[in-house]
Amino acid sequence: MTHEDLIRDLRDALGDAHVLHLPEDLIAYEYDATIERARPDAVVFPGSTADVSAAVRIANTHDVPVVPRGSGTGLAGGAVPVIGGVLVAMTRMRRIVELNAANRIAVVEPGVINLDLQAACEPHGLRYAPDPSSQRICTIGGNVGTNAGGPHTLAHGSTVNHVLGVEVVLADGTATWLGGRQPDAPGPDLRGVFCGSEGTLGIVTQICVALTPLPHEVRTMLAIFDSVEVASEAVSAIISGGVVPVAVEMLDQEIIRIVEPQMHVGYPLDAGAVLLLEVEGLPEAVAADAERVVAACEQAGARELRVAESAEEREGLWEGRKGGIGAIGASSPNFYILDGVVPRTKLPEVMSQVNALSAEYGFRCANIFHAGDGNLHPNIMFNELDEGATERVLELGGEIMRVCVEAGGSITGEHGIGLEKRTYMEWIFDDDALDAMGRLRLAFGAGERFNPCKVLPTGHGCASGHAAEMRQHLAAPGVYI
Amino acid sequence: MTSPTIDLREALPAEGRRAAADYLIDGAAPQIAQQPRTREEVAELLTTASEAGLAVVPQGSRTSLDLGRPIDRYDIALDMRGLDRIVDYEPADMTVQVQAGMTLRALRSHLAEHGQYLPADPPPGDDVTIGGLLATARPGAWRGHAPAARDLVIGMEVAHPDGSLVRSGGRVVKNVSGYDLHRLHTGALGTLGVILEASFKLVPLPPATRSFAVRRGSVRDAARLATELRDAALPARALTVLAPEAATSLGLPEHAHVLLELAGYESALDAATRRVVDLAESSGVGPEEAPPGGWERLRSLAGSPDGVVLRLGIPATRIAASIEAARGLGATAWGHVAAGSVMVHAPAIDVTSVRVLRRNVEAEGGFLVVESGPPALRAVVDPLGSATRDLVGALKRQFDPNGTLSPGRWEVGL
Repeated sequence: MTHEDLIRDLRDALGDAHVLHLPEDLIAYEYDATIERARPDAVVFPGSTADVSAAVRIANTHDVPVVPRGSGTGLAGGAVPVIGGVLVAMTRMRRIVELNAANRIAVVEPGVINLDLQAACEPHGLRYAPDPSSQRICTIGGNVGTNAGGPHTLAHGSTVNHVLGVEVVLADGTATWLGGRQPDAPGPDLRGVFCGSEGTLGIVTQICVALTPLPHEVRTMLAIFDSVEVASEAVSAIISGGVVPVAVEMLDQEIIRIVEPQMHVGYPLDAGAVLLLEVEGLPEAVAADAERVVAACEQAGARELRVAESAEEREGLWEGRKGGIGAIGASSPNFYILDGVVPRTKLPEVMSQVNALSAEYGFRCANIFHAGDGNLHPNIMFNELDEGATERVLELGGEIMRVCVEAGGSITGEHGIGLEKRTYMEWIFDDDALDAMGRLRLAFGAGERFNPCKVLPTGHGCASGHAAEMRQHLAAPGVYI
Repeated sequence: MTSPTIDLREALPAEGRRAAADYLIDGAAPQIAQQPRTREEVAELLTTASEAGLAVVPQGSRTSLDLGRPIDRYDIALDMRGLDRIVDYEPADMTVQVQAGMTLRALRSHLAEHGQYLPADPPPGDDVTIGGLLATARPGAWRGHAPAARDLVIGMEVAHPDGSLVRSGGRVVKNVSGYDLHRLHTGALGTLGVILEASFKLVPLPPATRSFAVRRGSVRDAARLATELRDAALPARALTVLAPEAATSLGLPEHAHVLLELAGYESALDAATRRVVDLAESSGVGPEEAPPGGWERLRSLAGSPDGVVLRLGIPATRIAASIEAARGLGATAWGHVAAGSVMVHAPAIDVTSVRVLRRNVEAEGGFLVVESGPPALRAVVDPLGSATRDLVGALKRQFDPNGTLSPGRWEVGL
């Protein structure tokens, strides 16, 4: 069967309007927010679970891979169709199917934008807790795929903690629910294992999420420190003091000096680091919790504490945090976002090592990250036009990941393994563990069908793909990972 | 499966030997019972059994062995209580790595020294082992207020029948490296691998707790008040609707009640208490102090080894109706509002009634689990939905192709 046959079958099943196949149309779907790039054979836009099943069955018939995609904001190359195939873009399936305030659940299609779901919940006094920084554009389906986190993961957990059930299309094209509308369904937690599987086990076509009440009161504070090391010490002091704030975010001097001139949100330019801290609950409890947090910061050596006095001030502080990555884009031709995790107590020494390594390689590095979770995001700034810069940045990225692993941490806290980190998997998992992960993939019947060459390194149920060539491609928008 | 052709007394180490008569399951004794002390010994036992085609049932405190169907075969009791150490505990990181055979009680006392805890209250009590807690994934009253134990696991090590020792996750509180295989083993009843150890993220122990009971004229009125209390977004750790029969078993008068536990700093509890009083008094009598030990008694009732225990997963709006349906069967029932679960306990419930109840619950998008009951009942009530069963079957073929681990738990031969 030919490429033309594949396109014809897809168009017959989904309608001409929902299949892209001309080279000029496919270019836009070659990449996500990463360095990797590869062209799909076709892009389809299913409008229903039945459409997704049909697309998967056609791909099976033609023996080509299936790669699911949401908004394409992934930071690990998860949506890049490395060896071609049918790219299934879920953006047409964007209905909020049900919002049941009395039972505190919502059923959504995977293309629903995270922030749109938040907005729909708010009038009911409810929220969907996971709030990745890309929430204005990322989809709930993509959030399930990567088990997305966000600043409020610290107290509220990642996506998996808020997903009650997922309807998924499996490799044979059948649709089934894993989990459901209530938590703790009997049997192995297939829902849980599906979250974060990066589109390799199936395609999520509907999601039932748990909603939680909006807090009575929220207090947002900015603690100002002379150095990242002192701020890092404060993080452990705050949390081990018995109050777990809902967010503990750190911005270092480099990022402050990028964000503040562009956004004017009130971060002091002479600070070595700031912590953005948030507590919530009953007004009386918030006041007491805030006092404890302030005391811990002062004791750890904070230079100054500021409390957001109004909703606008609070929004401003968060605006700076959530817009921080974008601001880097405006101040450097290219940058490379890293995602690593270390035990919280290792933050001070790991941050020193990250900054020393960046200096050694001769790159500016801006840190803006989820300090409470020990989840680092060093952003290495560079210019791809400089001879050898890209290679050295990738090498530096690898060294920083190595530092995280040696500190007892992990190679990704929320962005995923995708293409980018699968060779690092062997740093943290031995052969038995990788084989077991390959067996999980086989049990789902996914084998090489769904999102090949992702998550697992070569030789563990995943083909090598065109790994050597993949490295050669550079993405246009200037964001590297 | 092949019949045993090896002498287990020769093949397995004598020092871990236990009396088989102490390990009855549904009245049947295994050929042999072993209590290994190391992960390697567990792996060796599993490979020996797998190669000989023998069935192994991993177990801890033996409080939840009624979950799932009665097993098909039972050759070796694998008592995990020999692996009972804390491997690593870093209070400042608020993470702990603990072996599967340690009891929740023992873990709790270690963590309490540092003002921390694992917020899990599974039935029947703190005697459950950590491995059992995860393998059974039975929620308690705290579920929905605190994260479930399955949501607090950040890493795990599992032994497979082929002798491999597989680690997933890690020791950091946020991690998306590779597949979360530890998720697969929560709720799996030890059928896909034997949990050797787990790492958890911990939370601070609440500085204070306060429990109230509020009497109401009917289950429906109690459920209404409970919903109002839920919507008040209080620092609650448990919020439960008690049918009159459940209330009496806690030492309360025979009326429907709301049982509420608040947890936090005293100042927050004072503020929350005022709201509880206001809400309760606006629709009836005010709150009273809950009977001491009430929550523990409720928990032990949910884990009762006698009679039948059912767990219904239902929408919060159906709690009162589900409790009434269970009362109609002569059962004691109570419902945890935040988790949307109704617990049902009765000396006996016939198969037809269970099926009708399940059909009604499923029509609401919910589920019914037989958590405890006679083998005749458990043999005919499917422990899984059919779609999930296909995947569980495929997982079983990948991870336990010889049917070594508790065969029959999910269906005959599975």
